[in-house]
Amino acid sequence: MNESGLDGRVRRADRSLAVVTENLSVVYGGFTAVDRVSIQVERGSICGLLGPNGAGKTSMIRALTTIVPAAEGTATIVGHPLTDPVAVRSNIGVLPESNGYPGAQTALTYLRFYGQLYGMDVADAEGRALDLLQQFGLSNVPSRISTFSRGMRQRLGLARALIHDPAVLFLDEPTLGLDPAGKEEIMVELARLAVERGTTIFLCTHLLDEVERICDQVAIMNRGRVVAEGTVDEIINSSGADSFARIRVRPEAIPLADEVLRGTEAARAISFDNSRPGDLIVTIDSDHGSAATTLRALLDAGVEPQAFDFRGARLSDAFMAITSGRTDDIKEGVGS
Amino acid sequence: MTAAVPTGSTSRGFAGQTRPVARWTVIARQELMDLWAGGKGLSILFGFTLVLSILAYLASADAGINLLDARESVGLVVTTSIALGTLGAMVVSADAISGERERDTLEALLVTPVPRRHIVVGKLLAATTVWVATLVVALPFAAVMAGGPGVMGDAVTVLLVSGSLSAAALTSLGLAISSVAMSNRTSLVVSLAVLLALAAPSQLPAVRSSTTLGPILIKLNPLSASLRLADNVLVRQEPWSDQMVYLISPALAAVVFTVAAVRLARRLELGGSR
Repeated sequence: MNESGLDGRVRRADRSLAVVTENLSVVYGGFTAVDRVSIQVERGSICGLLGPNGAGKTSMIRALTTIVPAAEGTATIVGHPLTDPVAVRSNIGVLPESNGYPGAQTALTYLRFYGQLYGMDVADAEGRALDLLQQFGLSNVPSRISTFSRGMRQRLGLARALIHDPAVLFLDEPTLGLDPAGKEEIMVELARLAVERGTTIFLCTHLLDEVERICDQVAIMNRGRVVAEGTVDEIINSSGADSFARIRVRPEAIPLADEVLRGTEAARAISFDNSRPGDLIVTIDSDHGSAATTLRALLDAGVEPQAFDFRGARLSDAFMAITSGRTDDIKEGVGS
Repeated sequence: MTAAVPTGSTSRGFAGQTRPVARWTVIARQELMDLWAGGKGLSILFGFTLVLSILAYLASADAGINLLDARESVGLVVTTSIALGTLGAMVVSADAISGERERDTLEALLVTPVPRRHIVVGKLLAATTVWVATLVVALPFAAVMAGGPGVMGDAVTVLLVSGSLSAAALTSLGLAISSVAMSNRTSLVVSLAVLLALAAPSQLPAVRSSTTLGPILIKLNPLSASLRLADNVLVRQEPWSDQMVYLISPALAAVVFTVAAVRLARRLELGGSR
């Protein structure tokens, strides 16, 4: 069992379900933004919700956070159905994609106010607010929110979403507009929350590298539907996304290397890197071989590579393969 | 480090809680802070005080040359206070929901377990304080202009009863418009248009001089009824017993618009974004 958070997939003992949707649909006028989505998110896990712009991710989150009504289907949040919005709202924290802030308030006033909205008395709300401000590095910032940088606002928004220690946290692009250090801070905090507090995190983002690092589970949406769901590895393996090998040979050996590689079934395509003479880029067909197959073929033919660099398929490759339509509906083939 | 969580007040200790959290007082308190400490309320009040000062000066100067007597001066102060105080409260309420929607602060509020109607009631109470503040500012002006306890007593009664009913009605209407308007500009424009439409009949010569339709229109219209009542009591010195009819439409409007604002709260939503 690995509980290291950022260095691996977060695994916890409590595996009951935090979020369950069954054929959930969201319709605006005549437009179906979310189309019969059924997913399950385990309690204490981090679920990445991915998809191109307009895929329905924000609508999905808004339905699950009771902001917009579901046109059909059902959903439960830690066992509470969406038809009981008060119970759902008591158990969720939300950081919307475009979260505004009252510029005239201080961070402490802002958090204390939300603490009271969740039923805390003033003293408890203030204590909790102070703790969160310290946790998010905002404790020594007495000025108004209007003076905050984008990163400080995002951290404040996250603190606000956590003010009542929610069981499920919905985050819509929480690192949007942040610099790399700011993104890292947020991601570390999310991983820590999942591990230490057992908070279920529903993370909607375009940062595929981050999803790859911290998410236990991923759902990819396209045109309102979940087209892939599973662990990162399951999605990559099932997407048919390509792996690549960059092979450097002596310039005079290029014709022979090209001929040999074309003769192997493992090489689906071969291209040359014009900026680096001698480099061949081989697209590996994983159904018919591996990078090792191509390397062995070259050695057997007497071509000695000067360098060999293999890059396996990443989530970003899988994402592109899935959302560009190469894999229309692979959900059935992916474990969840 | 993980922040300590107060026992029994948060989601984990709170997971079983399924009852709405009654927090309209929290909303109202925060709105009051934002309104008055944030400066918006004070700006409105400053503008109102400035207008009233100019009016009082002009009325006093006129009184000096016997163009306006004390009752007419007080009537001018009271009717102006009702019109401007109502306008100020309506502007604040018209911004209350649509402004949050436009500033992207509404969603965070809507995902709390606070019932929608508590949000609306809290905001309504805060907006109403604009009227209360104008009332407080208007009273000294009226007292100075009145020059005697008789007129002052009438002025206070008119402001407290008739003015407050009108202000309550139009503040609620502004909030109802703000709940359904998808942009803040729409909310403010529609609210101001409604206020102007309501204020106009009492000023139109044809309506004022009409002996049949005019009085009916004025009585049906909550704002013009309030202004007419102030004029009748303070300037024309007509007995209070004859003026009760002018309280019917402001009272009815206050009830109807307040109920409408609270009921519309159930349909409070973010707007059409995807």
